[in-house]
Amino acid sequence: MAESRDVLVTATRHVVNEQSLRPGTPGRNRLRTQESRFAWLMISPSLLVLLLVGTVPLAALVIMSFTRIDLASTRPNAFIGADNFIRMARDDRFWHALWVMLVYTVSSVTLQLVIGLALALALLRPVRGQGALRVAILLPMILAPVVVGLAWRTLILTPDYGIIDFAVQALGFGSQPWLTDARWALISVITIHTWQWTPFAFLVFTATLHALPQEPFEAAMIDGAGAWQRFRDLTLPLLWPTIIVIVIMRTMIALRAFDAIFSATGGGPGTATEILNLYAYRVSFTSLTLGYGAAVATMLLIVTAVISVMLFRLQARD
Amino acid sequence: MDRLNRRRLLKGTAALGSLAALPKSAFAAPALIKQTGDDPALAPYQDAQIDWRQAEGESIALLVTPAHYFEKFRAVTEDIFTELTGIEVQFEVIPPKELREKAVLDLAAGSGNYASHTGDPMYLPLYQSNEWVDPLDEYLNDPTLTDPAWFAVDDIIPNWIEADSVDGTLYGMPVEGEATIHIYRSDIYAELGLQPPQTLEELAQSAAAIHTDDRAGMALRGFQGAGQNMYIFPSLFLEFGGQWFDADGNPTLNSAAGVDALQYYVDLLQYAPAGVENWNWPEIMEAFAGGGLTQYVDANSTASVIENPASSTVAGKVGYQRWPAGPSGRRVTSIWNWTMSINSALPDEQKKATWLYIQWLASRPTQLLSASYKETPEAVVRTGVNRSSIWNDPAYQELVGFTEDYVDVVLTSLQEDTDPNWRPRVPQWPEIGEVSAIAVQSALTNQKTPQQALDDANSEIVRIMGG
Repeated sequence: MAESRDVLVTATRHVVNEQSLRPGTPGRNRLRTQESRFAWLMISPSLLVLLLVGTVPLAALVIMSFTRIDLASTRPNAFIGADNFIRMARDDRFWHALWVMLVYTVSSVTLQLVIGLALALALLRPVRGQGALRVAILLPMILAPVVVGLAWRTLILTPDYGIIDFAVQALGFGSQPWLTDARWALISVITIHTWQWTPFAFLVFTATLHALPQEPFEAAMIDGAGAWQRFRDLTLPLLWPTIIVIVIMRTMIALRAFDAIFSATGGGPGTATEILNLYAYRVSFTSLTLGYGAAVATMLLIVTAVISVMLFRLQARD
Repeated sequence: MDRLNRRRLLKGTAALGSLAALPKSAFAAPALIKQTGDDPALAPYQDAQIDWRQAEGESIALLVTPAHYFEKFRAVTEDIFTELTGIEVQFEVIPPKELREKAVLDLAAGSGNYASHTGDPMYLPLYQSNEWVDPLDEYLNDPTLTDPAWFAVDDIIPNWIEADSVDGTLYGMPVEGEATIHIYRSDIYAELGLQPPQTLEELAQSAAAIHTDDRAGMALRGFQGAGQNMYIFPSLFLEFGGQWFDADGNPTLNSAAGVDALQYYVDLLQYAPAGVENWNWPEIMEAFAGGGLTQYVDANSTASVIENPASSTVAGKVGYQRWPAGPSGRRVTSIWNWTMSINSALPDEQKKATWLYIQWLASRPTQLLSASYKETPEAVVRTGVNRSSIWNDPAYQELVGFTEDYVDVVLTSLQEDTDPNWRPRVPQWPEIGEVSAIAVQSALTNQKTPQQALDDANSEIVRIMGG
């Protein structure tokens, strides 16, 4: 959704830029107007669809965030100004959810970058079974997150029967409360997200590494640079734009993660893995307080937007 | 449905021959309306003095949860109900939590997409306060829609009828239900020379005595949710003498009784299998069926699985008894039943069709037929029929007689160990249930002490109630 809108904006800007470069004769001006009109005509269906499925619900959400719509209450619906936001400022569960969301996002994105890059580097040179390994690494990404959450919950982390718990017990560490201890549960959902989405970083890094110019590396080798030096002074700087792109895309996904946590822990134990998105959902659809839920969702939107803008600025500066 | 199934169905009915006898009232007056031919499967319904085909051609959509009893209902619906009434019924099967959300949104929007759903009685005060569903009295008292003698609403478990009423008016019809009972390995109890516990204190002692590394001493639902850990906690809370609200209407979840009850819950689960804080009834039932768990307190319906040798290693080694009594001296079982209401946003003809369906489903013949119906060869029996007359029928008692006293335990629980205020019956329940469920799980996972957890929840409930 967001991506397609960006593409659209870029395309429009492109058309406009082309036109403004041309010399301004009256005939050309008319042509330009016609072309511009045609361009708008061509994109209007998509704009209309975007407006209907994106902008209108978003506006409705923001309006709702200033209202009280409590389905499970006898109090009438009403416009209550900023009350929902005032309540949010004092709502410990909201601040907790915001904190959990940030911990979840920062750690899972960092892990995805590090592991994705390590795997991409390890599989860069032809090794036996490279094709099969690559497919194996990419597999988690094609699974539905809700299935991933359930599979981890039942097949991998279940005490005694789950693969990981079994392995950990076999190694003599004893069974761990993977999903029922507050700290372990957060580590588990971060691990699940990392497991599923590291393939994306791996894929992008692999493609970029293959396209890197070979000359600087050859020169560095002749100059006697070691592997670590080459990595630090050549690979990393050359990969920097890719890293930023991955961070942007993965952060935006991690901030609005939902399905895997929902099916693995339901936000629990207690509220230990309740990220802001899940909190907004539970406030809206379990507690049936739609107005406050809309306010939480609006806040999530603002936080996501601010973080995205900051990341895009970082990218633009580079 | 093909012929084979039909035959099997009729055979099932015949096997329960003595049960097919209807209340005398049904025979008192000869059936007046018989326009659907001589299909023997339809005969019990044609004794009702109403026009079953008055909403012919209508089609209604229902939301139901994936459960064996609803599978049975679905299986007999098309073959019997549609043939009897000419009404098409479409089922949408989704899990209970999602079902609640979907149903509430449909009702709140007034869109009338779903004529009815298999609901939670706790939601009826909410439905009623918003007039989302019709009071059922107007249907029950309309002689063109209901034959009171044939339907015999008084035969339905009285506690369920009360739980499904708001201020004395019935808003949902119980179609299936259960009692929460104590289920234990009688062989292990005998081996260790233990007596089945009669109090919560004795229950904790037995759990401690039985518990070993490969044989957990006890389990209760720990998974967070208004219908999960808040299915167990209310019974403990009331057994410890708790009250949901004081005389002035202030919530008292964090009273001494509440804190003691939650502390007991936390302490008892130290004898539970690892991970029980995330378990709902299926996990508990499977652990018990696999032999790794010695006892639990949960729905009596789990018996039909743990007593099935095909799915259980402990069949025949199980004892049943009522909830052990708490410090208040009370035994408190759940008042759980699946209830069906009529969406008030429906057009009149559809409302009629929905009522005919609810009446048909809750009626004695359908309850009886579906109890033993085999929708698949492995299908288990229904242990949640809604009628006292069926529970008291020797043929049904034989069908579900897993032990000598199983039926007695369930019936006594249903009659004596429950009360409609098992959980607070207020429209705000969805939100209250959610914060209470979080509090209970926070304590079970040692994130908060029972006192802290319930203090937090109680102040949330004050806010929810508009304080």
